[in-house]
Amino acid sequence: MDPYSAEGELINIHNHFHQGQYQEVVDFDTSALSAENALPAHILVLRSRLALGQAEDVLAEVQGESEPELAAVAALAEYSLGKTDAAVKTVEELASSAGDNQTVQVLGGTVLQAAGKSEEALALLSQHTGSLDAVALIVQIHLQQNRTDLAVKEVAAARRWAQDSLLVNLAESWVGLRLGGDKYQQSFYVFEELAQAPSTSSITTLVSQAVCELHLGRVEEAQTALEQAVQKQPDYAEAIANLLVLTVVIGKNATELTSSLKTAAPQHPFLADIEEKSSLFDKAATKFSPKVSA
Amino acid sequence: MLEPTLMPSLQFESKSSRAKGIAFHPKRPWILVSLHSSTIQLWDYRMGTLIDRFEEHDGPVRGIDFHKTQPLFVSGGDDYKIKVWSYQTRRCLFTLNGHLDYVRTVFFHHELPWIISASDDQTIRIWNWQNRSLICTMTGHNHYVMCAQFHPKDDLVVSASLDQSVRVWDISGLRKKHSAPTSMSFEDQVARSNAQQADMFGNTDAMVKFVLEGHDRGVNWVSFHPTAPHIVSAGDDRLVKLWRFSETKAWEVDTCRGHFQNASGCLFHPHQDLILSCGEDKTIRVWDSQKRTAVQSFKRENDRFWVIAAHPEINLFAAGHDNGVMVFKLERERPASTVHQNNLFFITKEKHVRSYDFQKNAESPTLLSLKRLGSAWVPPRTLSYNPAERSVLVTSPSEGGSYELINLPRDGSGALDSTDSKRGQGNSAIFVARNRFAVLNTSTQTIDIKDLSNNTARSFKPPIGTTDIYFGGTGNLLIITPTAVYLYDIQQKKSIAELTVNGVKYVIWSNDGLHAALLSKHNVTIVTKTLEQVSTLHETIRIKSATWDDAGVLLYSTLNHIKYTLMNGDNGIVRTLDQTVYLVRVKGRYVYSLDRAAKPKVLHIDPTEYRFKLALVKRNYEEMLHIIRNSSLVGQSIISYLQKKGYPEIALQFVQDPTTRFELAIECGNLEVAVEMAKELDRPKLWTRLGTEALAHGNHQVVEMAYQKLKQFDKLSFLYLSTGDHSKLARMAKIAEHRGDFTARFQNALYLGEVEDRIQMFKEADLYPLAYMTAKSHGLEEECQSILEVTGVTEDQLTTPKFGQTATPPRPVVPTYKANWPTKATSQSIFEKALSGQLEGLSLEDAPAAATNGLGRDDAGDDDIAAKANGAMDVDEDEDAAGWDMGDDIVPEADSDFVNVESTDAGGAGSSEADMWARNSPIAADHIAAGSFESAMNLLNRQVGAVNFAPLKPRFLEIYSATKTYLPASAGLPPLVNYVRRTLDETDPRKVLPIIPRDLEHLASNDLQQGYDTMRSNKLEDGVRLFKGILHAIIANAASSESEATDAKKLATSAGEYALAMSIELARRRLGTPEAVNGNPELLKRSLELSAYFTIPKIEVPHRQLALLNAMNLAARSKNYSSASSFANRILANGGANRILENARRTKTQCERNPHDAVEIEYDQFAEFDICAASYTPIYSGTPYEECALDGTKYHTKYKGMVCTVCEVCEVGKHGSGLKLFA
Repeated sequence: MDPYSAEGELINIHNHFHQGQYQEVVDFDTSALSAENALPAHILVLRSRLALGQAEDVLAEVQGESEPELAAVAALAEYSLGKTDAAVKTVEELASSAGDNQTVQVLGGTVLQAAGKSEEALALLSQHTGSLDAVALIVQIHLQQNRTDLAVKEVAAARRWAQDSLLVNLAESWVGLRLGGDKYQQSFYVFEELAQAPSTSSITTLVSQAVCELHLGRVEEAQTALEQAVQKQPDYAEAIANLLVLTVVIGKNATELTSSLKTAAPQHPFLADIEEKSSLFDKAATKFSPKVSA
Repeated sequence: MLEPTLMPSLQFESKSSRAKGIAFHPKRPWILVSLHSSTIQLWDYRMGTLIDRFEEHDGPVRGIDFHKTQPLFVSGGDDYKIKVWSYQTRRCLFTLNGHLDYVRTVFFHHELPWIISASDDQTIRIWNWQNRSLICTMTGHNHYVMCAQFHPKDDLVVSASLDQSVRVWDISGLRKKHSAPTSMSFEDQVARSNAQQADMFGNTDAMVKFVLEGHDRGVNWVSFHPTAPHIVSAGDDRLVKLWRFSETKAWEVDTCRGHFQNASGCLFHPHQDLILSCGEDKTIRVWDSQKRTAVQSFKRENDRFWVIAAHPEINLFAAGHDNGVMVFKLERERPASTVHQNNLFFITKEKHVRSYDFQKNAESPTLLSLKRLGSAWVPPRTLSYNPAERSVLVTSPSEGGSYELINLPRDGSGALDSTDSKRGQGNSAIFVARNRFAVLNTSTQTIDIKDLSNNTARSFKPPIGTTDIYFGGTGNLLIITPTAVYLYDIQQKKSIAELTVNGVKYVIWSNDGLHAALLSKHNVTIVTKTLEQVSTLHETIRIKSATWDDAGVLLYSTLNHIKYTLMNGDNGIVRTLDQTVYLVRVKGRYVYSLDRAAKPKVLHIDPTEYRFKLALVKRNYEEMLHIIRNSSLVGQSIISYLQKKGYPEIALQFVQDPTTRFELAIECGNLEVAVEMAKELDRPKLWTRLGTEALAHGNHQVVEMAYQKLKQFDKLSFLYLSTGDHSKLARMAKIAEHRGDFTARFQNALYLGEVEDRIQMFKEADLYPLAYMTAKSHGLEEECQSILEVTGVTEDQLTTPKFGQTATPPRPVVPTYKANWPTKATSQSIFEKALSGQLEGLSLEDAPAAATNGLGRDDAGDDDIAAKANGAMDVDEDEDAAGWDMGDDIVPEADSDFVNVESTDAGGAGSSEADMWARNSPIAADHIAAGSFESAMNLLNRQVGAVNFAPLKPRFLEIYSATKTYLPASAGLPPLVNYVRRTLDETDPRKVLPIIPRDLEHLASNDLQQGYDTMRSNKLEDGVRLFKGILHAIIANAASSESEATDAKKLATSAGEYALAMSIELARRRLGTPEAVNGNPELLKRSLELSAYFTIPKIEVPHRQLALLNAMNLAARSKNYSSASSFANRILANGGANRILENARRTKTQCERNPHDAVEIEYDQFAEFDICAASYTPIYSGTPYEECALDGTKYHTKYKGMVCTVCEVCEVGKHGSGLKLFA
């Protein structure tokens, strides 16, 4: 039986992970799990710890382990610590030696995509056999490549064999936010449902809900949700970044938020983007000048 | 077989001895019950109260009936008597004697003044209750007649007897005889009444038409069908028989078998094809009169039923049994409904699902037919709607409770039978999430959570005794038990909160999902979403429904009222209802509801009262202010409410009556108003109170006034003494002298320390000893001597005590009398200030600051209105931006404007949505949002000749920052970027467009107002910055319509004028300090010129007044009287705030005495000109000029080619295709 299915042992821990409830994953009582599920559960715990920013500890724990799963975790940990090349190298090796391993696919795909090697990531992930994790990742990569059409197909295909799974719902919502129109509302339903129920709520889903609201033009609701998120975890970059965007949208001054984003996540894509556009502006502006200078 | 679980919903129950007869009042909620114990009871079944008892019969009373229109009822008993009563006078009017045995039933005729009675003496008799005579005796039955009734329309009577027969009688002869024209002679009448007796046997007044035989035991009851030619009878053979008749014959149609004891009563349902019967087997049974099958039955444990009756109009029935009476409804009248956003979904009586749009006020055609759901006679109970799937979940109480999940058709055309539906057993079913619903099964006490394909995903046991479930917020359920409500977390399968509330029947969530109202029969409990009780209230009348106002006010309906309650429990009546309705939504002044026929109805209400109270509770003074100004909210109730809640100062605003105003003013310490009112009323009592209150406030000026009014000289003197007001004290002394009041004089002299005065007074009063002593003690020896001389006494004749210090009154250290004590700061609330127009910011419109303060409330109010009117006009009818849109017709070369945004088609990656924006739009702002700054700059350069982009950088980055959101997706990967659109409903990637922050509406309502504020408060540097900011925001913006684009251009022009005006004034201020300028003729000239130019730009009138005032004052001070008076004239022509006008008038009169200018300046008050924004010199009309394509600022031609000083972006004189804001 599929351990991730609705009746499986791993359903709860797996859902916690994808709902962004990393601490719940770490705290999950894995002692009662059957033997074959112990490793996947352990991997989920390690990934959660990575997501919680404990990359060094995790790396120390799995360094030198030979099992491909743990090696993949090590690669992801290395990547999180900024050792991109080493991580990519490890993953490429694992891809050739154990490309059929599900964990290797998912973690390897993550590393490759993060390192900008989308095609290789997709190649690795395409070897999956019915892994929703892989599907979700593929969808995200397609979206990052702006290939919404492919993402739509991927979700539709997964929808057929994994009707009501959390990951399919999530992936569909990601796509929905690209498509817009009615889909905004549907994505909103999914995230709201997760974010508002105490047992599934996490900062990730709360921010996602707010993003949907922002896209739906419900700025006040979005603001409430984001402020709630920032309050919950003041250094959560995505909450700050989206709150910043929202603040600009409603015509307020966002200087303060920009500096707090700089403190929380100096590498955030928003900052890099604005930096780039700022210099682009200066460059472009030089091409124009008045006939007569005052 | 019968469903034993289905119970008619019980409305009322009384406890008494055996009930033998029942009658409903046709209009009022009354029921008459005649008892075996000889009593007749009159109950109000709605309130559940016993209204009256009538006890004149001797022995059991079996027959009872209300008259349809008169305040009468009739009863018949085992004492052989028929009594007619008035329930108004509460007594028996008369008794009809004649029957020789027990009277079984009595009924009024529906139109004639007749009563029909059936008796054990084997006769049926018809009586005229007007002349109190027996008009007909019908014989034929050969055993007790158990029941006899008139036909509701025709001249027929039906009777049932223990002789096992049912008889139908024709009484048309009787009618003819008794309703014949009254032209009969007295003899005729006598003859006829004599003939009556002769008619007793074989007469033609009442003839047996049919004898229906079929029952093989005695027949207890018989009834006509209200419209059709049907008869139903019930007998001791335990059968209920259905008969039919025509003109000529009658026959048995069918038999309903089921009662296992004597059937005692039966009747047709007034509106539906149903038969109701009751019997000594302790059951009430409902039968389908078409199919003659049992529909449902209800059994009582111990009580045999004796009689059953139906309300003639509404869906109510009553049955009498061994221990009283029960009133019940056969079917639910509450239509199942649910509200989603602006739509109401409901189920009609025909079991059709329909929707109703609150915004369009339109009912949809039938979306779905539920005919096949449940049994034909049982309407669905609840409806739950799932917006995500557009499906409904309907529950029906039939078959022990069932639910059905059906998708609504997309287009909703025609009555579609539900085709694809999923059903199951359950008592309650509701959606709990987008793809989950919960089903409660009360018999097994389980709750199943099911997915949309009707598979159980999980299942759990609710708390014991669960009767119902409701949505409890996302992921939660509210579980209702008879004594408590539980908040249950579906995921964790545990109850997270519990609240003890009895008998909750309905739960209504507020629109924001933060509060819920729990309705039980007589209580409303408001709880938070975590099930904490906020408030609770009790109603004596049944609560039917409730709905939330958007502001958090709960409106609920009882049987006959719509009421409201605030969160704090304050409640009141909103309006009365003439029929019961079920509220579904309230919006503004409209309440939407469903009536018992399941028809949507819109009711008008006046929400002012509760809105006001809500505003009060929330301390939302702006809202209160608005309500006070815009509605006629007056009346004693609101005043006493405010007073009770401790807001006398607000109540003050409502009251016109001076006495009440005075009382309130005293209560809230508003002395000003109190003084005003006291003056108006001028009653000593009020002045006394005012004096006391003012004294407490330390407001001695008011105290003084009060004492003066009251002529309390002593107090006044003492007041002057204590405030140190010597001069007034002296005047008091004078007054005392005038009045010849020695005591007062003495007192004042004492206060003043005037010894001589005192001595003088003593002397005048012939109190020489005292005068002497006073003089002596103050060492006034001369005075002593003169007194001695006058009195002829020598010093040695006197024995004087030893003198101590002389008493001189202390001198005041502080001149307290000059000012009042600082008054209580709290006495004036924000609210009052707002009302008197003193609070900035509350009034959106800007009367010039100078005018706002120090003016009375009325004046400020007028100014406000005037300013408002001005503002509105200016916005509307600004010059239509002539000379502005040079190139509106020229479509900008959109295609060539496209920068080829490199789409990296290779490698499988597509182009992002941002790239699409730039392709989709010729508007610069959209290119900026797309990050394509260069193309945006090209566009702006072409449209308005923008060349200097540096000032636009913040705006560019602002737009760009607002375009993307960051969605956290897979762990370990950067967030997914999504693109924020302003075209929310658009999905075609070739039409989507980005959001532009600070859109035109935002600019007009925020930035522009801030700009006006700076003008008013004289913060011109900020103002220039703000107005330039507006220009920069307009240049990169997008309009939603062509007219908005036009407005934007007007806004740009206006902002340009302001920026120019402010810059001119700032330039003047930069010339130097006033002293320096005055000392230098050249600077002075320039200063005067600039101040004059400041008045030229077309800014709003109140602001221009400020500029004019400034120019006028400067000119007057520099002795340029001619100019000054011209400015004064312009001010006066503009009108507006009084203070400025006053000032101008004064200056004008002064200046016109000497209409010359001391300093010659370049300002021709009679010429038309504009101001060059570069040199601040006039451009007279007719001379050539250049202008800025964005804001329309004008320049001398020599400045062509430089950057506009106002917007700092565009090149002067470069005409482009015109700013494009709408594609």
